[in-house]
Amino acid sequence: MAKRVIIVDDSRAVIATAELALDGLISSGVIEFKSYLNPEELLGALQSGAENFDLLISDVNMPQMNGLDLARAIKMDDRYKTKPIIVLTTESSEQMKMAGKEIGVTGWMVKPFSDEKLVKSLKMVLGV
Amino acid sequence: MKNLRLLIVDDVEDNRLVLHAICRKMQGFEIKEAVDGIDAIAVCEEWHPHIILMDVMMPNLDGFEASKVIKSRFPETVIIILTAVIDPKMEANMSSIGVAAYLHKPIDKELVRFKIQNFGSVLRLKEGDHAKLSTKETLNPFCSDLRHYKTIFDINDAEGMMDFGVWILSRCTEQMPLAYSKVDPMIELFYELMRQRIRDKEVVSIICEESFEEIFVTMKFDKPIVLKPKTEELVNDLQSHCIIRDNIACVRLNISGESIPGQSSFVTTIKKIPVEEKVQSEGVTQKEVEREEIQSNKEVRTIDAKEQGFLRQSFVHKTTAIDYVTEIGGGIIDEIHELESLDEEWRERLHVLERDPSIENIRQFVDGVLGIYVRTINNLFEFTALAYALSSLGIFMKEHADTIIADSSKLKMLVMLTEYLGSDLTSWREHIFSLQDAGDIHYLDSSFFSSCMQIEGIIGNKQLDVDDDNDMEFF
Repeated sequence: MAKRVIIVDDSRAVIATAELALDGLISSGVIEFKSYLNPEELLGALQSGAENFDLLISDVNMPQMNGLDLARAIKMDDRYKTKPIIVLTTESSEQMKMAGKEIGVTGWMVKPFSDEKLVKSLKMVLGV
Repeated sequence: MKNLRLLIVDDVEDNRLVLHAICRKMQGFEIKEAVDGIDAIAVCEEWHPHIILMDVMMPNLDGFEASKVIKSRFPETVIIILTAVIDPKMEANMSSIGVAAYLHKPIDKELVRFKIQNFGSVLRLKEGDHAKLSTKETLNPFCSDLRHYKTIFDINDAEGMMDFGVWILSRCTEQMPLAYSKVDPMIELFYELMRQRIRDKEVVSIICEESFEEIFVTMKFDKPIVLKPKTEELVNDLQSHCIIRDNIACVRLNISGESIPGQSSFVTTIKKIPVEEKVQSEGVTQKEVEREEIQSNKEVRTIDAKEQGFLRQSFVHKTTAIDYVTEIGGGIIDEIHELESLDEEWRERLHVLERDPSIENIRQFVDGVLGIYVRTINNLFEFTALAYALSSLGIFMKEHADTIIADSSKLKMLVMLTEYLGSDLTSWREHIFSLQDAGDIHYLDSSFFSSCMQIEGIIGNKQLDVDDDNDMEFF
């Protein structure tokens, strides 16, 4: 059964480049891919039970809700606290990474990302 | 003589006292102190120091991180690092973010004074009567896409020429080989050209226009230029870096320390793994081997220090959209709102390009829609990463126009991704200037730049050579 991968990023260009990178996994049915431009919308859908995921890829700097705040809110929900969250951001400071680690995110990847490394990391996290 | 502002940053009070005593003996400086990196950034925002003496190991925010923030927000600030630790890697990192000098403790007071006074002289020259805001029109015949300031020298004697020489040398150091090799013949050429004019009491203007990568130095006379054998020889030395036209002589100097992005900064990787050996040693599938092969054959898009700075820029104090718009107000906001009318044109020009692929249609998009965006964003001075990203993408599209129009699938992908970039800019305008609901006005900058680079990589079939190890870091 396809694993559900969600990406949340305020940039359509980032979402499109990530989708292109994951094209092989999507077209072969290994994953199903869904994107959100707005973290608040995703959080609402998760909290209401309308949405679910096997892996979440999240940006950090977004216009209103920050990606780390989103991760924190998701991790507080028992339904999702063991689900892996990967941060995909241009932020690379140790302070930010520490904050991510404390919240419980699984991994940190910096933009611009390499397609191959994104696919490799995803496979590793999802065990596919 | 105008006083320059000098900031001493050190968490140890005794060190600050010693440095203060050393600097107090120099005339022409007002001095303030800061106790750590955070404090230094706060003082910079209020007081705008010209020169900073910065310690490295400090609590809260160290000297490296503070320098990064300060150089990104106030690039003209001269930062001199003082540290007890000899660390070549750290020195290289400091240079890459634009630190001017690196001095070791224990403090050599003469050396500290010498450095400060040297930089002070250059700053006074730069801040004198020379720097002026320019009109939007550029003068040089090389490039019309420049930031809107110029440095102008009105010269009527040898001393004026000397001022210009000192200034241009301060901008082009030995670390910029491409510029440095052209400075001498340029000064000699300009000197030859103006000798006769000065004798005739003519005032000659030298106008220096700057882009991110280059300085365009233009000498303008009242009458047309006539070349003599010596000046002809110097023009030949400068080759394509020099244009003489009617009454102007212009020389372009690359000040990035690198080659111009998009032109020759792409290098080809030579690593290639033999297919058989790879299959045997790791047992990977043929498809993966082919992928590796394609990957290993890819050219590498290098990312220079300035671009790395844009990608990793961070702002300690976040500015909200409401505060920012309230602060800048006025005409510039109207210019931003006028960009709304470009949204439709952005899409339309891309669709025209997709329907009718031609170099002219690429040029129309880059010089038209993209160019207007770059100029308007540049006028804000706050979003240099966004402007640089768009500008680089435009250069890339023009330089790869032949390849793009010859490959319909690449063209389709470029149109799709560039259309998404347009939506990102629309959304950015809304969050910052219309709704003003962004908690941080720089939320998009680095990410947008990163997307532009990835698009270059996808369309140009290039691998991005990111300095960071961009393997996932697992926690």
